[in-house]
Amino acid sequence: GVSGLGSHSCRCLLDFPMRLSLALLISHGRVARRMGLGPRSRLDMMRNLVTALVRHERIQTTRARADEMRFYAEQLINYGKKGDTDEKAMKMADFWLTEKDLIHKLFKLLAPRFASHQGGYTNMYQIPNRENLDRAKMAVIEYKGNPYPPLIVPKKDSEKTLLNQLLKGYREERERLRSAQVPERLPRSEEH
Amino acid sequence: TLFRSIELTGTEGRSTAVSPVMAVRRLLQLVRCWALNAEQLLFPPPAPVLAVQAPVGAPWVGGEMIDPYDTSNFLNNIFWMAAPKSRRTIEVNRCRRRNPNKLVKIKTNIDVCSMCGHLKQKHVLCGFCYEKVLKETVKIKEQIRLKEGGHFNVATVETAVLYDGEKPTERDEGKRIIERNRKRPSWFALN
Repeated sequence: GVSGLGSHSCRCLLDFPMRLSLALLISHGRVARRMGLGPRSRLDMMRNLVTALVRHERIQTTRARADEMRFYAEQLINYGKKGDTDEKAMKMADFWLTEKDLIHKLFKLLAPRFASHQGGYTNMYQIPNRENLDRAKMAVIEYKGNPYPPLIVPKKDSEKTLLNQLLKGYREERERLRSAQVPERLPRSEEH
Repeated sequence: TLFRSIELTGTEGRSTAVSPVMAVRRLLQLVRCWALNAEQLLFPPPAPVLAVQAPVGAPWVGGEMIDPYDTSNFLNNIFWMAAPKSRRTIEVNRCRRRNPNKLVKIKTNIDVCSMCGHLKQKHVLCGFCYEKVLKETVKIKEQIRLKEGGHFNVATVETAVLYDGEKPTERDEGKRIIERNRKRPSWFALN
């Protein structure tokens, strides 16, 4: 239907499902985000964010940037695990960390911290929208094992809640009744 | 007109059989006709002709075609613009304005935070609790900055935060200690 634009080659439509000129305007199924002024700008932005994360171990940004940065942060740890004698690892750390004292931190602190982990070095949570006029979606991203207070406190069940007190009372009463019934049964079994 | 002229000259009371002489004569007539009429065919150059009955005045005015996007002739060419035919009644307007796709959607993902009781969305952290943690984090970062005392002095060992009256345990050995002079908050447990 759309080939009215004139596909000049004689190839079948089925060979290239989306190679018509409209493909430049329609972005169905494309998952790569476009950030900043271009691909190089996006990489520079990611580099800044990764540097900040390695320095502070917990940062808050927009959701898209945090999501995009997560992959780079975890890959950097993977490279850090190779050790600082590895040429490639050192080059990667040199490129991705703009503040050079953080290279020491990566190889001496973060890589040993995650030595036993297999992936999943970061946590990302969504936070309420920014208070500005733009109401941007925000997220907080952190390396696991950071020294700060936890963002999610797992709720421990307390024995002092009403429900737990009632259940405890019910359990105790059932035990008391059972121990009261047991002596009645014994004489009958002795008779038989 | 070209072909009619040839037909008239060719079939004036002659037999149906075509001899070679007749064919040649017809061909010569054709060529002569074409040569005579060549000028008429090519001048004026072929221009698009309206296939539809249209008023003579528009879009041709004075024998020349006018560019419909020429803004100086805008008023002459508003014949071709869409316009509503009749007034939309209030019933139709109501149907459009109150259609569910235009109304604000109800959110069913709002919950109450179990820690503080403020409202939160299910997939989002509680704003109040996050603010609390953020303020404490900022204070800890300030202490770290004071301890490092300058740029490019980042520590290469783990950090442990200790509050009022807390001593470093065997779990904290080998870590740099950051002290905060307040009581430990309930939501920042030791382990």
